[in-house]
Amino acid sequence: MISLAGRDILHSWGKFVLTGLGLGLLIGVTFSMAGVYRGMVDDAEVLLSNSGADLWVVQQDTLGPYAESSSIPDDVYRDLLGLSGVAQAANVTYLNMQVRKGDTDVRATVVGFEPGKPGEPRYLAAGRRITRSHYEAMADVMTRFHVGDRIRIRRHDYTVVGLTRRMVSSGGDPMVFIPLKDAQEAQFLKDNDAIVNGRTRIAVNPSLNRPGVPGILDAINALQASNHNVNAVLVRVADGHSPEAVAQDIRRWKHLQAFSREQMDEILIAKMIGAHSEQIGIFLVILAIVSAAMVAFIIYTMTLGKIREIAVLKLIGTRSRTIAGMILQQALGLGLIGFVVGKIAASLWAPFFPKYVLLETGDAVRGFAIVMTICAIASTLAIRAALKVDPATAIGG
Amino acid sequence: MNIPKTLPRQVWFGLFGIALLLAFAWGVTKSGPLAPIQVTVTRVAKGDVASTLFGIGTVEARRAYLIGPTVAGRVRSVLVDVGDSVKAGQLLAEMDPVDLDARVTSADAATARAGSAVTMAQAQLDDAKSRQALAASEARRFVDLGRKGFVSQSVVDGKLQQQQSADAQISAADSALASARQDLARQDADRVGAKQQRRNIRLEAPTDGVVTSRDAEPGSTVVAGQAVLKLIDPASLWVKTRLDQSRSAGLRLGLPAEITLRSNARKPFAGKVVRIEPISDSVTEERIADVAFDRIPQGVSANEMADVTLLQSGVTGALIVPNASLRYRGAQVGVWLRADGQLRFVPVKTGAEGMDGKVQIVEGLKADDELVVYSERDLKDDSRIKVVDSLAGTAK
Amino acid sequence: MDKNVGIQIQGLSKRYGEGEAAVDALRDVNMNVAPGEVVGLIGPSGSGKTTLLKCLGAVIEPTHGRITLGGEVTYDNGWKISDLRVLRRDRIGFIFQAPYLIPFLDATDNVALLPMLAGRSNGEARARALELLQALDVAHRAKAETSELSGGEQQRVSIARALVNRPPVILADEPTAPLDSDRALAVVRILNQMASQYQTAIIVVTHDEKIIPTFRRIYNIRDGRTFEEAGEGRALE
Repeated sequence: MISLAGRDILHSWGKFVLTGLGLGLLIGVTFSMAGVYRGMVDDAEVLLSNSGADLWVVQQDTLGPYAESSSIPDDVYRDLLGLSGVAQAANVTYLNMQVRKGDTDVRATVVGFEPGKPGEPRYLAAGRRITRSHYEAMADVMTRFHVGDRIRIRRHDYTVVGLTRRMVSSGGDPMVFIPLKDAQEAQFLKDNDAIVNGRTRIAVNPSLNRPGVPGILDAINALQASNHNVNAVLVRVADGHSPEAVAQDIRRWKHLQAFSREQMDEILIAKMIGAHSEQIGIFLVILAIVSAAMVAFIIYTMTLGKIREIAVLKLIGTRSRTIAGMILQQALGLGLIGFVVGKIAASLWAPFFPKYVLLETGDAVRGFAIVMTICAIASTLAIRAALKVDPATAIGG
Repeated sequence: MNIPKTLPRQVWFGLFGIALLLAFAWGVTKSGPLAPIQVTVTRVAKGDVASTLFGIGTVEARRAYLIGPTVAGRVRSVLVDVGDSVKAGQLLAEMDPVDLDARVTSADAATARAGSAVTMAQAQLDDAKSRQALAASEARRFVDLGRKGFVSQSVVDGKLQQQQSADAQISAADSALASARQDLARQDADRVGAKQQRRNIRLEAPTDGVVTSRDAEPGSTVVAGQAVLKLIDPASLWVKTRLDQSRSAGLRLGLPAEITLRSNARKPFAGKVVRIEPISDSVTEERIADVAFDRIPQGVSANEMADVTLLQSGVTGALIVPNASLRYRGAQVGVWLRADGQLRFVPVKTGAEGMDGKVQIVEGLKADDELVVYSERDLKDDSRIKVVDSLAGTAK
Repeated sequence: MDKNVGIQIQGLSKRYGEGEAAVDALRDVNMNVAPGEVVGLIGPSGSGKTTLLKCLGAVIEPTHGRITLGGEVTYDNGWKISDLRVLRRDRIGFIFQAPYLIPFLDATDNVALLPMLAGRSNGEARARALELLQALDVAHRAKAETSELSGGEQQRVSIARALVNRPPVILADEPTAPLDSDRALAVVRILNQMASQYQTAIIVVTHDEKIIPTFRRIYNIRDGRTFEEAGEGRALE
């Protein structure tokens, strides 16, 4: 027995391939959306893994430092180092801000870190690590900066000395790493006008500007201009200790909260990405419905165009089963072409997305099963029409 | 014979299908989790590491002076302004004398009066002395007469008592004189003090310098200790530099320095470390070093920011690697070594670090060992790698 | 009865609807066609000839009567064959007004389809198809796509298809309607040739004046009844 479906496809291959391409692009978009979601989850995983931390210590009653803002004094880390089980404790700051290069600016998350401690990028893609204590930066390649660029963060210029890959914040902004002190200053120091304004207001306050006490005004201004807070302390737990046990110890300090890796996973993925995943889920459902409709329409039209032939086939003795099988095979063939085109298209255009797109093999396999199922279901409309055809119509014109 | 017509079409379709499958396979292996990780490699080289220390600092004057009165008063005149160079001893400003002149006159008068009191006390002493001499000789004569029986004992006693009284009067006059002298001394001291205060309304430059601030105008009232003018010695400008405590190994006096002023970034100035503050900043965890200019640049202002690089003697002929190749496993620093096609994490011990990113390897590697510098992702023991020249997206 | 005895129809009736609105499309039709014989079935539109074809073609069920096909009773006041589709496939050949070839199959496969449906291997089916194409003088177009065949070639292929399973009867519905007289006679010539070569009974429904004189026997159908009469039986060159 020859394959009727195969022969029909070969005969009108142009229509088939074009439809397959169209369907494929639609499926490619679907894969890309799923890839964006997977990319966001991977961004979060990479963010947590690359920090090198086992525990995140933040302000009490907050879900920081990524989901909520958190502020703790920068000398807390010394107390933490004294706890048993703590191998390393490092201050970090995070701030989303515009980083300027020449005329353009880029939205980035500026990270303040201490060299050699958790918070520093674990690997580089180009350049070198920071060696000076101020005014050098490492930036992620997604910022489109290059080694040697001069960038401006708040009131200082920094030289980009190294590039990183896959260092993005949980919101998808690329990261720029600068020394902790510079980051503290950037985070809390206001612009020039505000500072001058503040100084004037303090100067006219008689209880702060005492004539007989020289130097008090300067001391107060210096206090206003300094910052001794950080957003979190990253803790690496010593071998042989359980992170949760150390976290419990830390939580006993009244003003601190400590999250383990699992808890941070949940905060980032369940809470932050949760809203995104709903949106993406809805998109995927809509795309699936549109694809199904497309396949149903095409196959139905192709079948309707063959009504006469179907009547003749039935008359000369073709099983209804065979005819239904032909239509189903055509729908599945269309789905196969669409799947392959979609997977290729998604792989081709993934690097051009501003966000990281992760195309997982598992998703591809699931996608294949779903595409085939949708095509099978979409073909039922045409199959019903074909089965209703009365072979008698072939006789009598 | 007839050429079958369907064959070419089937062949085309087959080719298309194969091409599609190949592209599909490419997509799967090139991107996604199945693809090998791109890395760049380099070999351990022998070279020099120029180790330097880095800090940021502010230009400050080592010697700064606040010029002001020692008592509250009103400013009468200010003779210099911000930016003026002044010489030692130059009159910079004057306070209003107010009642100081009258006080000086009053002190003079009081001194004069005290002097007169001394004279009078002296005269009284002389008088008491002469009376005592007389009383003493009379007492002698009457004692003699008494012995001879020419006068009564009571008369002798009387004369003896007069002699004693005259003695006492001498003591009294003596102490009165001493008291008058002390009073004179006190009034004199007061007079000297009043004169000194009168002199203090003249605010003079204690040394050559430059006026940096004019804080009170003529007519303003200032209290004791409040500055009317601020002065610095421009020859004493240096850069107070802050260095991270953890990165200040080898900080010592005399280290040569390169000072880059924020206002003139193109031309660094030479200098050297002249003082290391004995007290570090425990809050910011910084050590403070004072770096003097070899030649003070023109037009530099106090409180300007500067970047300071201190040049230490480096190491020569050491095994060096780029610092980007250093990775951490826990607290252990090491590199990913590529040997016999295998990837292995090797712990190392580092030595000097240069500002250009070169790091000396003291232990753990040999020359020409091949190691991973940049990678697309974090590496693990079983990672499959693909060596490339540079990672995508990093070239200019 | 002889297995290959063509087709016999006795007392066939077909009533559509019930009661007052009932229409008797066929009333007591009697027909016999011997193997190798080509008879004409002539009648105006509405005479019931299409209904008769449909009954004989086993696509609608008659109301009562008896049909004997190739010696086997297929209908006797009810279908006696369980699978009508198989009956149509193996025992009845169809030739339509238009060739109705499957457009995405080439000439050979259009014909070979029937034996394949009957379970024959592809090779054997194609061999049989080729045999018939040769008999019909279109073997040189065996690999041509349907769209590449001329009208006459398509028709010959469709005739080959009708014959390929060696059915005892072939029902031809106005096979010459769109043709000019030369072609029409050519078709009739082929039909006669095939009928005698393969001993098939052929019923040709037609109202084409050009070919009516060629039949030796004609059944007239009017208001659902058939009347046999002798035809001219004009010879074909």
